[in-house]
Amino acid sequence: MTPPELRALLADSVALWGATARVTLDGEAVRVDAMRVTAATPEDLPIRWWLERPGQRRPCTSVLGLLRSLRNALGGGEAQKLRVV
Amino acid sequence: MIPVVVLTGFLGAGKTTLLKRLLRDPDYADSAVIINEYGEVPLDHDLLASSEETFVATATGCLCCVVRSDLAATLMDLHRRRAAGEVPAYRRVLIETSGLADPAPILHALMTEQPVLETHRLEAVATLVDALHGPAALERHPEAQRQVRLADRILLTKPDLADAAALRAMLATLNPAAETRDVLHGVVPAAWLLAPAPRTDEWLDATARHSANLGSVIIQREGPLPAMALTLWLQGLAEHLGPKLLRLKGLVCIAEAPKAPAVLHGIGHVMHAPEWLDAWPSADHRSRIVLIGQGIPPYWPLRLLDAIEQEVRSASQRLGNDGVVDRG
Repeated sequence: MTPPELRALLADSVALWGATARVTLDGEAVRVDAMRVTAATPEDLPIRWWLERPGQRRPCTSVLGLLRSLRNALGGGEAQKLRVV
Repeated sequence: MIPVVVLTGFLGAGKTTLLKRLLRDPDYADSAVIINEYGEVPLDHDLLASSEETFVATATGCLCCVVRSDLAATLMDLHRRRAAGEVPAYRRVLIETSGLADPAPILHALMTEQPVLETHRLEAVATLVDALHGPAALERHPEAQRQVRLADRILLTKPDLADAAALRAMLATLNPAAETRDVLHGVVPAAWLLAPAPRTDEWLDATARHSANLGSVIIQREGPLPAMALTLWLQGLAEHLGPKLLRLKGLVCIAEAPKAPAVLHGIGHVMHAPEWLDAWPSADHRSRIVLIGQGIPPYWPLRLLDAIEQEVRSASQRLGNDGVVDRG
């Protein structure tokens, strides 16, 4: 995923959660307010994404994990689990 | 499996009038009826003036608010009494919701309560809309809109009282897949009302033709989708859309089994396990998924699907295409 594609996904996600946050491109990273999201390098696998906050660097192993961490950080409310019947 | 038809519609839309007429019609014989009313006294039940034991009135408040326990318990209690010969051996169940009910939780209950799932099948949702007061109800009350959005068929009542041209256009915008019929004094052919909901491919085609509709998100893809990507995407939809997702239906070409499509059905965070058709229903073998919801950014579902598919394909390549991915 390119940084612009990631920015578009995160901007839509922030809107979906009803959160207030500015989502901008920052070189190869995407900024969400004071947080910074970067793609992990192949050497970091199975980590795919890093979510950096002041004083903290959180690894995420998938885009779903990244969205979950970001949503929690923004106070976007509790997510529901998939139920298959 | 006993088919269940849900009759819904806003206050005053004519549900009780319709039901009263239906129950005198031999074509609707062998129906058990569950009526939910908002308030302490189940007035509609009395208005129907029937002594049938297969009538059940619930007056514990709006059915959608208490539906998990009440509806399942009511259906299963009726089922038990039917098996014991305590009530006539009805062949279908009609559920009349209160006018204030959001049908989604009712459908949830029919889809998720295990004993109900094992004995009953949701056949269709029929929504009544009053030609005279319907436009105002649809403008002012989100429940009325949700009743229309979730309908498989729409019954336009009191068509003799108002010019319903604008209302028809509004209904077609809210739910292009539902067939709308005028209903005068509760006269509805049983074969139409009680028929199963349209096939998924027909529903998708009808909805896709109106892709500019508010609240509809259409996804079409040429190539097959890895099963793992689809599973993770559905998980993402459930987590982040939840109740904003009124309905999801789709025909999907799965990479691991591309000769026939998987049929997807879901409401909110609850999805049916995919069903497999024997073959594609037409020459169009593209995956087509429609999401009907409220407040969903139109490109979010596709962006998420693309991101997940990229991750899954890259992991599969790394692991030698076996597709086994540990996503802890």
